Amino acid sequence: MKIRRIVALAYKEWREILRDRLFFALAFVVPASLMLIFGYGLTLDVEHIPFAVVDHDKSAMSRDYLHRYIDSRYFDYKGDVASEREIEPLLADSRIRLAIVIPPRFQENLMSGRAVEVQTLIDGTFPFRTSSSKGYVVAINAAFNGELLGSYISRRLGVSAETAKAMAQPVGVQLRYLYNQEVKSVWSIAAVLMMFVLMITPPFLTALGVVREKENVSIYNIYASTVTRGEFLIGKLAPYVAISVINFLILWLMATQLFGAPFKGDPLFFLLASVIYVTCTTGIGLLVSLFVRTQVAAMMLTVIVTIVPSVLYSGLLVPIASMDAAGQFEAHLFPAMYYTDIVLGSFLKGVGLEQLWGKVLALLIYAVGLWTASFLMFHKRPKS
Amino acid sequence: MNGDPAESRARLYLWWSRLAAMTAKELIQFGRDTLLLIAIAYLFIFDIYMAGSVSMQLNHAVVVVHDADHSAASRELVYRFRPPYFKLGGEVLDNREGQRLLDQGQALVVLDIPPDFEHDIRKGKPVDVQVQVDASNTVLGFLAASYSAQIIGQYGFDQALSRLGVTERSIQNVPMIQSQHRVWYNPNQRDAWFMPIAELLTVITIMAIMLPAAAAVREKERGTIEQLLVSPLTPIQILLPKVIAMTLVILLGTAVSLFFVLYGMFDVPMKGSLVLFFAVTTLYTFTTAGLGLYIATLSRNLAQAALLAILVLMPMIFLSGAWTPPEAMPAGMRTAMFLSPLYYFIEMGYGILLKGAGLDVLWDSLQGLALLGMVIFGFGVWRFKRQFG
Repeated sequence: MKIRRIVALAYKEWREILRDRLFFALAFVVPASLMLIFGYGLTLDVEHIPFAVVDHDKSAMSRDYLHRYIDSRYFDYKGDVASEREIEPLLADSRIRLAIVIPPRFQENLMSGRAVEVQTLIDGTFPFRTSSSKGYVVAINAAFNGELLGSYISRRLGVSAETAKAMAQPVGVQLRYLYNQEVKSVWSIAAVLMMFVLMITPPFLTALGVVREKENVSIYNIYASTVTRGEFLIGKLAPYVAISVINFLILWLMATQLFGAPFKGDPLFFLLASVIYVTCTTGIGLLVSLFVRTQVAAMMLTVIVTIVPSVLYSGLLVPIASMDAAGQFEAHLFPAMYYTDIVLGSFLKGVGLEQLWGKVLALLIYAVGLWTASFLMFHKRPKS
Repeated sequence: MNGDPAESRARLYLWWSRLAAMTAKELIQFGRDTLLLIAIAYLFIFDIYMAGSVSMQLNHAVVVVHDADHSAASRELVYRFRPPYFKLGGEVLDNREGQRLLDQGQALVVLDIPPDFEHDIRKGKPVDVQVQVDASNTVLGFLAASYSAQIIGQYGFDQALSRLGVTERSIQNVPMIQSQHRVWYNPNQRDAWFMPIAELLTVITIMAIMLPAAAAVREKERGTIEQLLVSPLTPIQILLPKVIAMTLVILLGTAVSLFFVLYGMFDVPMKGSLVLFFAVTTLYTFTTAGLGLYIATLSRNLAQAALLAILVLMPMIFLSGAWTPPEAMPAGMRTAMFLSPLYYFIEMGYGILLKGAGLDVLWDSLQGLALLGMVIFGFGVWRFKRQFG
């Protein structure tokens, strides 16, 4: 293996990339724009749930109860309807996602010390949103019940409102959100987006770059030359790894400066781990390109091994902890998951090598495995 | 066109037969690439099947407890953190140990019960239970916090009732709201109904943009476009067959995945009209194929086309309403959403398959998609014609 040949090949590849102005520009524009668009747009916070109300009681108390929904930022009041029958078309058309039905004699029953049933109809199309909405409803009901019980106790036992309140709610909850105190999804999303963008763009760059050489048969120049397999692979990929590392730095700046995500970890450790990750993802592109003959197939195969797992199995949208065994197995097959832990650990938790060495090792093994596989698969004398 | 009717009929016949011949050519060319076929079959079948195993619910999240009281009351509270949402991960002796487990991601929640917990509850003195939640993953953190608060709130409520001597039977005589939830369309909130549909719509989108774009750019890159241009074909006759052929492929894939995976494996109810669903899918594929053609006119080789496609695809997939609730998006993004054809397709896809909505309900979405489709497809064709006309 001669350094000089590797440098020459890398230089040739670099010139080729540079000459394709649009491609070169896109190699930097695509990651940055994805980060920008998702950073501002991708929110998983469930807020402003549009809801409608059927109020059969129309009393002071039912209005007081409903105002807890109307005044909450989690709900967005869309108006009253006269009967349950009118709810269905609204839910079917997604004009509302939730409806509250207050029974007749709501106030009367509560005043005379009887329980009432309030019905909540929830659109179950998007299960995550459904469980969040349910959580809000339960919380509002619990608060209302606490007050009801308090005034009931004070009436029945004749104690002061203060004591009654303490008796009605004997156990309080002090919630502390660690690492992301305001549960701002943009913080964790900006961080995780780095994983996502670096999972998608490098393989595409690499796979298409290499297959292009195969498809327009200029690869025969390499076959005929004295360049060895290892030299070719390293020289070919070096520029793509370099582009991806530059992209990584840009994304890092965007996450911390633009989106204000706190970076608590060790920058040097993070940089090194990220270089390993980028080597992995370019390696994926390389392996794909060795499998296929045409660029179209390379494109679809790259979609399969990058976009799909990074959407479903990387922890960007879907937490890996909540997957079943098959899903978790698939998640462990891709490098994205390990890097997600590294990114979140470095950004939000401020932990370093001593906590994350396992993940780094996994990435390292992955990278070495990919490159070895590529080396074994690439032949200077292809069959047929 | 006011010549002899026989002649114009012959011309029409020629026009259509050329279109058919070109469509056949596209399909044959497509069928030759075995790896591509395997990749597409994978996406439509296996990938959608895998999506069914993914869930966004809290599933056996590990709770560790720091119990400084060790009383019957504290044990009862701890015991309420049960599967399927939670799983007890044992006890820690101090908070530092709990913090370490959170740092390493071995626990999601640390529950901290103060000393004299039971004593204080008996005395009627309010006590606070501390719950620490790892919120670095906002979805999980949020759900874990919300469920923990529910469990503890319910526990407190039960304690209060039992002190008052209220039993199961006399509970009707306490003024309180008994909340009844009814979840429609997906009563058990099965993610296996939501995810595979989302994935199918995503796969359709990816193919509808990438395949026509690739088919067009390939001709440009290899120079075979010149041959087509010197033939008696009009630009429309070159272009349309690519879109038709890819639409046929996509519709076939959709049918397979709808019947074998969605219906066969996950029992997705398929409440609405399937004819309507396929009609909408066809309209949608044409619309997005217009985007693909536009990309094809911008790029000289497939590498450029693929990067441009990603630039268009990713925001479409993520910001069209399957993952992010449209209500919660910033105002500007919400407006941008209305420009995404996928937004209308998601509305209609879920509407037809899960909600059983018909044309009467989905009319406005259909109009939106049709309007967008005409603009996008028309623009794509216009660009192509200008480039090669």
